[in-house]
Amino acid sequence: MTLTTGTSVVSLRGIRKEFGDHVAVRDVSLEVPAGEVVAIIGPSGSGKSTLLRCINLLERPEAGRIEVLGQAVEPQGGVSAAELAKLRRGVGMVFQSFNLFPHLTVLRNISLPQERVLGRSRKEADARSLQLLERVGLADKGASYPSRCSGGQQQRVAIARALALDPQVMLFDEPTSALDPELGLEVLAVMRELAADGMTMVVVTHEIQFAADVADRVVVMADGAIIEQGPPSVVLTAPTVERTKKFLRAVMDR
Amino acid sequence: MNDSLLSSWVEWTPALLDGLWTSLQLTGGSLAIGIPGGLLLALLMSGRSRVVKAVAIVLVEIGRGMPALVVLQLVYFGLPSAGLTFGPFLAATAALALTTAAYTSEILRAGLQAVPAGEVEAAAALGMSHRDSLRYVVIPQGVRVAIPALLGFSIQIFQATSLTFTIAVPELLGQAYSIGAATFRYLDVLVLAGLVYLAVVLPAGSITRLLERRMGRHL
Repeated sequence: MTLTTGTSVVSLRGIRKEFGDHVAVRDVSLEVPAGEVVAIIGPSGSGKSTLLRCINLLERPEAGRIEVLGQAVEPQGGVSAAELAKLRRGVGMVFQSFNLFPHLTVLRNISLPQERVLGRSRKEADARSLQLLERVGLADKGASYPSRCSGGQQQRVAIARALALDPQVMLFDEPTSALDPELGLEVLAVMRELAADGMTMVVVTHEIQFAADVADRVVVMADGAIIEQGPPSVVLTAPTVERTKKFLRAVMDR
Repeated sequence: MNDSLLSSWVEWTPALLDGLWTSLQLTGGSLAIGIPGGLLLALLMSGRSRVVKAVAIVLVEIGRGMPALVVLQLVYFGLPSAGLTFGPFLAATAALALTTAAYTSEILRAGLQAVPAGEVEAAAALGMSHRDSLRYVVIPQGVRVAIPALLGFSIQIFQATSLTFTIAVPELLGQAYSIGAATFRYLDVLVLAGLVYLAVVLPAGSITRLLERRMGRHL
């Protein structure tokens, strides 16, 4: 399925997520058209990761409507396993802590989900895995275990593992936060290529430079709400909201 | 140590080795049934249904709370009153399997819980079903984490097979006891039986410790 630019791949309406008494996300709406790269920035605890995790229902919002690739769910009404599987099929996700399966080789990490989720044969899956390993610059790492890979390599494997399922949108949850700056760069390079290839991406990040260079739109969150959004050239250089200015100053000073 | 003791030991050894073979078969049978049972109980205990969880917990608490000797007597002498009659070997295997399931369920549950939540989340985000996530991600790693503790427990079960001499299973202790009854040389034959137990337990213990160090890789 290919989507023409302009169609929303992800559409969030009035999302509200609470953890006990704490409201992590308050009534947030966000549209992500096909091909767009959205960077979500903001101070820690602003709810950006929680919002991202609501898209593929790793978190179940208390209120709101989630539409991914034309499939709408209202999680507070309950979501069947089939609906969940269908929704997640189109959405790839990359975590801060990589979350590779340590007991499987790099190649198996990428092939197993293809076999189980898409029903590909082992041969088909391995062929696709090798192709993606090459794309992320790790063609020689297939037989290695994750523990034998650097953090940057593990994160690139995690990207390949998500891409192997042919997602229509990729979610990145602070993909470089656990990495040394140098290793972070090799991950960002892969993400840049992905963006250049037209992948729809939602990236929660502290990498302001990456947001400036790659994102089509920057969304700033604070206290569970979107406080400002727009093209990076505007939001990052001439923000209008005081809270955004304060946050950007703090990030630049680091 | 005099010649007559040594020659008696040589004479008794074949019977004791027969008994050892029975003990090992009992151990193998109890583990082969009990460990999968323990895994099942561990999965049920971490499941979502409250009723299922409660049933599993009750089974585990009974299995761990009752001494193995009591379970053994109950199965062999008690169940026939309820119309269920087993031969000694089968009764012993069933009783020890129950004890094994109860104890290993806790060991395996700890192993399953040691698998990082992030990996389970990654499996979910990839669209893998809960079942596949258990089968391919959680169980293989959880069981691997549990292997050293399971081996340690297996040694205890091997020792516990000696209890089955009370229901006339011809295992190692049972054989030694028969020889003792025939010759009245209980001390001599029981020392030999003890040495045979040691000869199995000590190397098994070292293997367990070796594996403990090795299993850490790729986890």
